[in-house]
Amino acid sequence: MADQELTERVRELINENQVLLFMKGTPSAPRCGFSMRTVQVLDSMGVEYGAIDVLPALQPLREVTSEISDWETFPQLYVNGELLGGCDIVEEMYENGELAETLGVEQPAGEAPAAEAPASDEPYKSPPMSIEGS
Amino acid sequence: MAADLTELKGMIEAALPGSSAEVIDETGTGDHLRAEVSAPQFEGKSRIDQHRLVKAAVRERFDDGTIHALTIRILG
Repeated sequence: MADQELTERVRELINENQVLLFMKGTPSAPRCGFSMRTVQVLDSMGVEYGAIDVLPALQPLREVTSEISDWETFPQLYVNGELLGGCDIVEEMYENGELAETLGVEQPAGEAPAAEAPASDEPYKSPPMSIEGS
Repeated sequence: MAADLTELKGMIEAALPGSSAEVIDETGTGDHLRAEVSAPQFEGKSRIDQHRLVKAAVRERFDDGTIHALTIRILG
C-alpha cells in the first residue's frame, strides 16, 4: 500500500509539470544508463522538463507509481499528466517521430528519424502542449 | 535462477490469444531479456498500454525475481 501523502504529492507534480521525468540521479548526473539515455533524448528535443530523482525514496516511489500508473520501473516520462513510457518507449517514439509530435516540437535536425517514418511537409500545427480548460 | 525463454514466450502467447512472441536473452546472463511481440490486442492501444499487456503476462517472473529487465519491442 503506497503512502497516501506521497501519492498525493506525486499526483500534484505530474499535473503541474507538462513534461516530467522520474529518473535515477539528475539530468546533469544520471545514475543509471536508462535514465541517462532518456535525458539525452529529452535534451535533444529542446523541451523544458521537470526531473525528479527517485533514488532517495526508491521503494516508496515504486509503490506510488505502481498505484498511479501500473508501472514500477524508472525512468518514467509523463507528458500532460499521462505516463508515456520508460527508456525503450521514449527512444522508440523519438526514432519514429512520435515523441516530437506528442511534445509538440520539431524533430531535431541532424539526427533524422528512422527511415520508415513519413516525412512531413507540414509543421505540427497545434500550439505546444496546451492543456484543455486551463 | 535463469529465465526459461520458452516458458516466457508461452506465457505471453497464452495471455494474448493470437499473438506471436520471441524472447531473447540479450546478455547471456538469463535475466536481461528482450521480448518481440505482435498481437491483435495491441491495435488501437498506446505504446504504454501495449507494454503493460506484455508485462502483465510475465508479471509472475518479475515478482519471483527471475527477470530483472525486460525490453519490449512491439512488432506490427
